Amino acid sequence: MAGSTRPIGQRLRRGAPRAASVALVAFVLVVLFGPVLVLALFSFNDSSIISLPWEGFTTDWYVEAWGNDQARDAVVNSLVIATGVTIVSLVFGAAAAWGLTRLRFRGRGAIAGLHGSVLVVPWLMIGVAGLIFFSELGVSLSLETIAIMHLVVTFPLVVAIVSAGLVRFQRSLEEAAIDLGASQLQMLRYVVLPQIAPSLAAAGIFAFAWSFNNFEISFFTGGFEQTFPVWVFSILRQSENLPLVNAVSTVIAVVQIVAVFGAWRLIKMLSHRRGDDKGQLTDLVTGAVR
Amino acid sequence: MRERLRPLSFLGPPTAVLAFFFLAPMVVMLVIALQYGVLSGGSGWTLTNFGNVLGDSLYRDVALTTFQIATAAMIIQLAIAVPLAYVLAYKAGRFELGLLLFLVLADELNPMVRIYAWRMLLGREGLINTALMEIGLINVPIDALLFSKFAVIVVLSTSYLTYTVIPIYAAMKAIDRNLFEAARDLGAGWFTTARRVLLPLIAPGVFVALLLVYIPLFTDFASPALVGGTEGYMLGNVVNDLVLESGDLNGGAAMSMLMLGASALFAIVAYRLTKIRQLES
Repeated sequence: MAGSTRPIGQRLRRGAPRAASVALVAFVLVVLFGPVLVLALFSFNDSSIISLPWEGFTTDWYVEAWGNDQARDAVVNSLVIATGVTIVSLVFGAAAAWGLTRLRFRGRGAIAGLHGSVLVVPWLMIGVAGLIFFSELGVSLSLETIAIMHLVVTFPLVVAIVSAGLVRFQRSLEEAAIDLGASQLQMLRYVVLPQIAPSLAAAGIFAFAWSFNNFEISFFTGGFEQTFPVWVFSILRQSENLPLVNAVSTVIAVVQIVAVFGAWRLIKMLSHRRGDDKGQLTDLVTGAVR
Repeated sequence: MRERLRPLSFLGPPTAVLAFFFLAPMVVMLVIALQYGVLSGGSGWTLTNFGNVLGDSLYRDVALTTFQIATAAMIIQLAIAVPLAYVLAYKAGRFELGLLLFLVLADELNPMVRIYAWRMLLGREGLINTALMEIGLINVPIDALLFSKFAVIVVLSTSYLTYTVIPIYAAMKAIDRNLFEAARDLGAGWFTTARRVLLPLIAPGVFVALLLVYIPLFTDFASPALVGGTEGYMLGNVVNDLVLESGDLNGGAAMSMLMLGASALFAIVAYRLTKIRQLES
């Protein structure tokens, strides 16, 4: 019985799933990126309402976006905050990851738990708690309060990614460096840093995106200051869809795509220098969630 | 002595930041939830805020809507993510890295831009309706596309897909592929192999996906605010309205604490279930 059904089953298993795989991947890509492509397309439509039919090509919306102070301020605010948050997150994250994976001390479990717990608390709760906290302290909400709350949620992510990187590579190299007369600092600089460089690069791009894209925390802890997502939100709450928002969104999306591909190349380069293969690259993406 | 100081120099500043800007705000929020008015007012302890939030039948309806939307979005994502992770891990070959990169990219794109893009497509005069009318499939625009539960489910399903796929993909990559061969040699069909070998082994990945996605789905408020209308009003919107619209910090804090408690409870239950599953298999 099993013998007679197996060849047919195997043939089906080979042919049909292949088409199904391609269809599935195509469907997912269309659903994830299709809407954003259409959004970008309509930033060039010569009409103030976003609907068919196509009225002709224009770049007016980009000119208008460039002249819009609110839009520019919001994007600049987001860029400044995300840059600062990324730098501090990388320093804090790398230091904490090193401390948590390589040092033995009392209370390590509790501190690791504290860093981990930040990652599972929803941003809405962190935003609301931040708003209440600052108002109780009498601190007025500003770009600084946004940045510090972004830092709180972002650097534990760096800790997770870099820890995964540190756990993967062998401690004997560090011990060998010390045995050969390297100081602690030299060992960190010349042995550990090159090893975790791909993890740091990956963590950096994630940290930047987490801060730049963050809406909930910025919305609650920003007062009258607007970041890019808060600006889009407030425009869409007040009015209908606007081609101006399409134009700004398209620019942001293009920059993000370029940044992700650039970072990917950088990480590939850093990994190749270590003689890594594809396996380690996929590890990098999956490492943090394990 | 120097060795003693080292953990502090690495972990001191990060831990201090978390203690002051994560733990302290959470404690303050809990205290505010248990009082009237501001902290310095010293009104004494009360459970009224929790009572008000829990006793309101409107909020119970909203909680039910939230549950329906979050669960539907989660099921849709799992239904896509499990086969997609399978394709990525075992079938994609040289496309594997590229497809992973696209998944990462999907997550990096600004969520607000994505919400806006869907709003553009789904609206009454949106592109889907106008296109369908143009080709004559419908005569009147479908209103239910936007400002509905449907719209929120669509937007949420596409917003978190990366975080659903990657943990499951990671779990699949960790499986020793000889197990599949062994199962086949022992006469198991694909269904039996999937149910008895693959599913138990990817359960931890599914658990991580649930933690990363199902909990945030319950607290999302940008998507329902922009595409949900009155039908798609969710708990996140309640928190927002309490805190920013009515200025009721105590009520907002109580609602937040309840949602946080529910998330923690869910996380613990999910964690226990995975442990039990692992022990059984």
